[in-house]
Amino acid sequence: MSIVLDRLSKRFGSQTVVSRVSLEIEDGELFVLLGASGSGKSTVLRLIAGLSVPDSGTIQLRGRDVTDLAPQEREIGFVFQNYSIFRHMSVAENIEFPLKIRKVPAAERTRRREELLDLVGLGGLGGRYAHQLSGGQQQRVALARSLAHKPSVLLLDEPFGALDVKIRGQLRRNLREIQQKLKVTAILVTHDQEEGFELADRVGLMDRGALLEVGRPESLYARPRTLFGATFLGAGTVLVGRVRGNEARLGDLALPIPPEVEHEEGSRVRVLFRPEQVELCSAQPEGAIRLLGKGEIVEQSFLGALRRLRVRLPPIPGTRQAAPAPYGEEGLLVDVVQPAEEPLPGPEVWVSLRGWHILAPPRPRLLICALPAPATYPSVLPHLVEAVDAVPVLLAVDEDGDEKGTEELRTTVLERAAAGGSGALDGAEVLVRRGDPAAEIGSEQAQSLYDFVVLSGATGPVVDGLLDRLSTALLVLRGDRPALQRILICTAVGEPGKADVRVGGWLARRLDAEVTLLHVNVRIGGLGGPPEPWVQSHLDRGVATLRALEVKSRSTIRRARTPAEGILAEAAEGQYDLIVMGRHAPRRGPLFGGKAADITLRILAGTETSMLIVPADE
Amino acid sequence: MAKTTKAPGAGSAALPVGLLLAVLVPLLLMPLAAVFVFAFRGGFKDFLSALTAEDAQFALRFSLLIAFLTAAVNAVLGTFAAYVLAKYRFPGKKPLTIAVNLPVAIPTVVVGTSLLLLWGPIGLLGKALAPLGFSPMFAPAGVLLAHLFVTFPYMLGAVKPLLDELEVTYEEAAYTLGAGKWQTFRYVILPALRGGLFSGTLLTFAHSLGEFGATVMVSGNLRLRTQTAPLFIFAQFEAGNVEKANAVAAVLAALSFAIFFFLLRWSGPTGGRGQGH
Repeated sequence: MSIVLDRLSKRFGSQTVVSRVSLEIEDGELFVLLGASGSGKSTVLRLIAGLSVPDSGTIQLRGRDVTDLAPQEREIGFVFQNYSIFRHMSVAENIEFPLKIRKVPAAERTRRREELLDLVGLGGLGGRYAHQLSGGQQQRVALARSLAHKPSVLLLDEPFGALDVKIRGQLRRNLREIQQKLKVTAILVTHDQEEGFELADRVGLMDRGALLEVGRPESLYARPRTLFGATFLGAGTVLVGRVRGNEARLGDLALPIPPEVEHEEGSRVRVLFRPEQVELCSAQPEGAIRLLGKGEIVEQSFLGALRRLRVRLPPIPGTRQAAPAPYGEEGLLVDVVQPAEEPLPGPEVWVSLRGWHILAPPRPRLLICALPAPATYPSVLPHLVEAVDAVPVLLAVDEDGDEKGTEELRTTVLERAAAGGSGALDGAEVLVRRGDPAAEIGSEQAQSLYDFVVLSGATGPVVDGLLDRLSTALLVLRGDRPALQRILICTAVGEPGKADVRVGGWLARRLDAEVTLLHVNVRIGGLGGPPEPWVQSHLDRGVATLRALEVKSRSTIRRARTPAEGILAEAAEGQYDLIVMGRHAPRRGPLFGGKAADITLRILAGTETSMLIVPADE
Repeated sequence: MAKTTKAPGAGSAALPVGLLLAVLVPLLLMPLAAVFVFAFRGGFKDFLSALTAEDAQFALRFSLLIAFLTAAVNAVLGTFAAYVLAKYRFPGKKPLTIAVNLPVAIPTVVVGTSLLLLWGPIGLLGKALAPLGFSPMFAPAGVLLAHLFVTFPYMLGAVKPLLDELEVTYEEAAYTLGAGKWQTFRYVILPALRGGLFSGTLLTFAHSLGEFGATVMVSGNLRLRTQTAPLFIFAQFEAGNVEKANAVAAVLAALSFAIFFFLLRWSGPTGGRGQGH
């Protein structure tokens, strides 16, 4: 293994530019880091070269840990975007420079220099200076110079960025040839997807500091995992439908979901189809099972061998568009390409799919807030983040700080997050706000739509303030249990939806926890509450749901005067690590007994156990 | 509003060139000529004897020595200052940048006064160092101190723009090729600064050679001890020895012409890139 990056993170000030990037690159591989500008791809390259120092993580080159070594000691070659040819030296002197530094004898230097000049096709130009060379020639000098000392790893930062399109193609082929001839391991950074596909053995896709996907160009194009991957690597349409059984439903169209894609009944599912996978027909195709619908062509452009078309379909119930950007559009837009010589179908066309790809569900996003700021993070948190493979965002709310305090707070939060040790929170995004914690958490949640809000520390008044505006699962971590192993899900017959069982089960599966399903039957003097058989069948269905999620579970029924009493009694007896409850529309008016009657608040007040509060299904 | 405007280059150049000459001849050219005319008024023999007089010889040699030392010290110091100011970020960088450029803005007599007040017998440093046998005022060391101060910004001004322009990737490229910090400075940065180093050194040298205001304050104008060539010219002129004064003045003027010629050659549109291979 030539290059091994392990959870590499880098911040500039408070901005995380590289976030936990792990990567292994084989000997002789040409790896392309692909991403938009500002995605952190160049910073990764600079970290490998030692031109920048990571905040955390390690770098190994050829089995040697070089994380703390200076660039001079890493034996790498680096080609800069501006080539950085030394202007006061001739081409020959430039190429010999690394050899001179290493005190290689003159005869050997000359031999090696001529060899390299021939390799890059610049034989006879050794006497020239940078200003006498074209851009393409300078680039080749830079390449020859970076290879002179036979580095084990070659790093190229947008090497074709400053050249015009025609020369690029030629130089790309040259680079590929040279790299294969020398069998040198190389990482090339580019924002040009075509360049990446053409050159790469494997491509790594970066977005906002994170390495999202890694794979061979063909598989990344055909089977991306993420929405970003689907849209960045070529054109395509992404529609969001719903999971029904083992199928993704887009209106009437049902597409089977392959077993390797994780999916849960009723959840959203994203379906990608590339322009060349869409077929247009003037008449309704007979027996077409993959028929999406009937639409009209709204755009078309001629690209030489191909013709690009955009078709607008009327809205399909339960289906939403993710790409192309659905801005100001009620219908669904589908991108199509077809050979240019094929006749253009009439304005009204039937759209059917030849192929498609189901994207993996997105990684859950966690908004984590330890109160009051800055507070230490509970030891179970890194474990939780890792178990659910979440994207953590750390929010610190300064209740009465000034500008300077805000910066200090950010630093402290980063330190405390790193103190956990496992590295799960390293490189997490940190947000610092000033004001009332509940209000700030609420507005952040509303803006960015997290999957979970996680609170720890002195949570009392904040939870109180948050419950009424909660639209997302709220996890209140209390005490300092090292793991969440025993989960109690409190359920009730006739609840609107089974969100608590679903979300609790989802979490239990990832934490590898055991679940107890509890129903409290409220009976006062033998009256009230549903009959036991109903309750039992309700619980059985819950257990079946959990079984489908591969979660070990049992059920239990308690009798008590009030639900809160029953839950508190079970919690006290069962040694649970986590209590999961559904949350209904707030009923806290004076008519319903005010705050004192709020069951969630009563449970929170009555135990020291962590709680997950799940809003009822929409 | 002018009724007609001439395109540049159209029409005769006689009028504007004539006007310019009419201004420049009495303002610049005639005084320059006068130096030589007066120097040789008594014939070449008188010129030579005036020049070979012991005090004239001392003044010229002393001036050249001080100019060499000033240029050498400020070449190193100015380059170092330029490097630090161009490459590092630190609090107080802005005020420091202004401060190191200040000597050009302060009248040289004021510089001389303040040096006297600091290093002189009653000054803060002067008092402290006198028991150690170091009292630079009215001594050659004092002249050097004054010249270092007055000419400091020239080196900085010649080198810093080049350093600012030199992208950091050139240094980084050298690092990735295996060169250490010093090797990078020696083989990559310094050669890229050659033009600035050369012109900065010459400028410093020329200014030191002609320095008067600060020198007159700190040197005490001691004949055969601290008297530089400009001071000698002034002293002789005041004593009525116009030929003696003009002989040295002619040498100074000739030296300055030579330096200026090199400067023009070096920083002209074709020179300066250092393609002397």
